[in-house]
Amino acid sequence: MVHSLYRSRWLLYELVVQDLVLRYRGSVLGFVWTLLNPLLFMAVYTLVFSVYFKSGIAAFPVFLITGLIPWQWFMTAVSLGTSSIVDGGMYVGKAVFAPAILVVVPVLSNFVNFLLSLPILLAIAAIFGMHVGWPILVLPVLIGIQFLLTIGTLLLLATFNVFFRDLQQLVAIVLQLLFYLTPIFYPISAVPEKLRPFLFLNPMAPIILGYQRIFYYDMLPSWKLTTYALIVSIAVFFAGRYVFERYKDALPDYV
Amino acid sequence: MNGSNDAIVVDNISKRFRLMTIPKQASFKKAIVRFEFLKRKRREERYVDAVRHVSFRVPRGSTLGLIGRNGSGKTTLMRLLAGVYKPDAGSIAIQGDIAPLLSLGVGFHPDMTGRENVKINGLVLGLSPKEIEARFDEIVDFAELQDFIDVPIRTYSSGMYMRLAFSIAVSVDPDVLLLDEVLSVGDESFAEKCLTRMRKFKEQGKTIVLVTHEPGTLKTWCDSAIWMDRGALRMHGDAADVVAAYHRELHASAEQPVLAG
Repeated sequence: MVHSLYRSRWLLYELVVQDLVLRYRGSVLGFVWTLLNPLLFMAVYTLVFSVYFKSGIAAFPVFLITGLIPWQWFMTAVSLGTSSIVDGGMYVGKAVFAPAILVVVPVLSNFVNFLLSLPILLAIAAIFGMHVGWPILVLPVLIGIQFLLTIGTLLLLATFNVFFRDLQQLVAIVLQLLFYLTPIFYPISAVPEKLRPFLFLNPMAPIILGYQRIFYYDMLPSWKLTTYALIVSIAVFFAGRYVFERYKDALPDYV
Repeated sequence: MNGSNDAIVVDNISKRFRLMTIPKQASFKKAIVRFEFLKRKRREERYVDAVRHVSFRVPRGSTLGLIGRNGSGKTTLMRLLAGVYKPDAGSIAIQGDIAPLLSLGVGFHPDMTGRENVKINGLVLGLSPKEIEARFDEIVDFAELQDFIDVPIRTYSSGMYMRLAFSIAVSVDPDVLLLDEVLSVGDESFAEKCLTRMRKFKEQGKTIVLVTHEPGTLKTWCDSAIWMDRGALRMHGDAADVVAAYHRELHASAEQPVLAG
C-alpha cells in the first residue's frame, strides 16, 4: 500500500490540491472559512461554559481552540473519508488506480488546513498572554500519531462502507458523540477517576490532552498517555491496512 | 510459455460477479437486526459469469478487435486486461507498458479548468508530471481548445469535453493500447485526426486491442477479431470472417427473437 501510494505521489499531490482548491473556489472568503469554523465555535462555547456555566478555566478560549483545531482535522477527514472509495466511482474500476489514494486525500487536505490553523492558535494564546514554549518541539510526534490513527480509521471505515453503505450515516453520528466524549471543552480533571479508563477508549482523548499540554499548560505531553496513543494508533493503522489489503481487489466489483 | 512474439497471453481466465439487486443490497440494519451476518448461507446469491474460460494470444504489433452484443463480456475482458479487475481464475501476461483507455476523462472534474484536468487525467493514465508538461501544448493543439484551456470544463460542450479527453488519452506512449469504444468522438474533421493518430500507433508497431460495434472499423483496423458471446469466446480469427459470422447470427436471431441471457 505504501509502495503504491509512493508511485502515485504526483496524482496524490494533485488530488489534494484539487480538494483544497475546489472547496473554496467561487467563495468570497475562501480559506477564511476554515479558520472561521473553530473561531465561531470558540466564541459560542466560551459564552456557554465561561459566562453561563462559569467553568473556572483560565483563558478558556485558548484551552478550547487547542482541542478544537486538531479535532476538526480528525473529524472532517473521517466524515469525508468514510465515503471516499464509494464516491470515487469515477476512478475505481475505470482506471488502474490505487484506491488507497482516495482514502489518504481527505487526511492530507485537512492536514494542510490544520497546519494553516496553527498560527491562529498561537495568536489566540498570545492575545491571552499564554506562553507556548519549547514543548512545542514534540508537536510532530503528536501529529504523527494522529496521522496513523486517522489513516488507519479511514482504511477500515472506507473499506467497510463499500459493503455496508449505512456506515457513513453511523459515522456522522458517532463523530458528533465522540466530540462530547473527548476532553475538548472540559478538562480531564472534570471526569471522575472511575470513568477515566472509559474516556481513554477513545484514542483521540490522549492525543487532545497532549495538544493541551503543549499549547495551554506549556508542558511536555504525558509519556504514558502518548505511548498509549501511539500503540493504539499503530494497531488501528495495521488493522486498517490489513482489512484494506484483504478487500482491495474486490472493491471495483462493488463500487 | 510466453513466446517472445506475443504481447498479450491470456490463459483460461474467468470472472464472476455477484449480482447486486437493490433490495438485496447488504444493509447494516438488516445485518444487525436479522443477524444475517451469522447465517451467511441463507442469503440467496446470484452470480453472473461475465467472462468464462477465455484464452487467446495477441502477437506483438498486431491489432485485435473485440465484437459481441451488449453484455457479452467485452468490457469486463478489457478491464481484466487493464488490471482493473483481477480474474477469479486463469492468468494474463502482458509484455511492456500498457495504456488502458477504457473510459475517457477519468477524474475530470467539472469545476476544474481544462489545464487542471489535463494534469490529473494524465497522472491517472500513468504519465509523469514532466511528460504531461512536455506534451501539454500538443494535447491542447490536438483538442483544438487553445482558447478554452483555462476555463472550467463544465462550460464545455460535450464535443469539446470528449476532444480534450481523447487528446490526453492518445498522448500516451505505451507498448500495448486498450481502446474501449473511444474511437469516434467529435465532428468529422476531429474523427479524421483520430484515425491519423491511430494509424501512427499502428505504424509504430504498437499492439492494440479495441472494442467496437462498427464492422467497418473492425475490418479496416484489425488483423484479427474475437467474438464474445455471453462471456465465452465464440470465435477467434480473421477480422472479416468473424464479422461475417457475427452478422449472420445477429440477423438470424433478429428474425427469430430469442431471450438473450
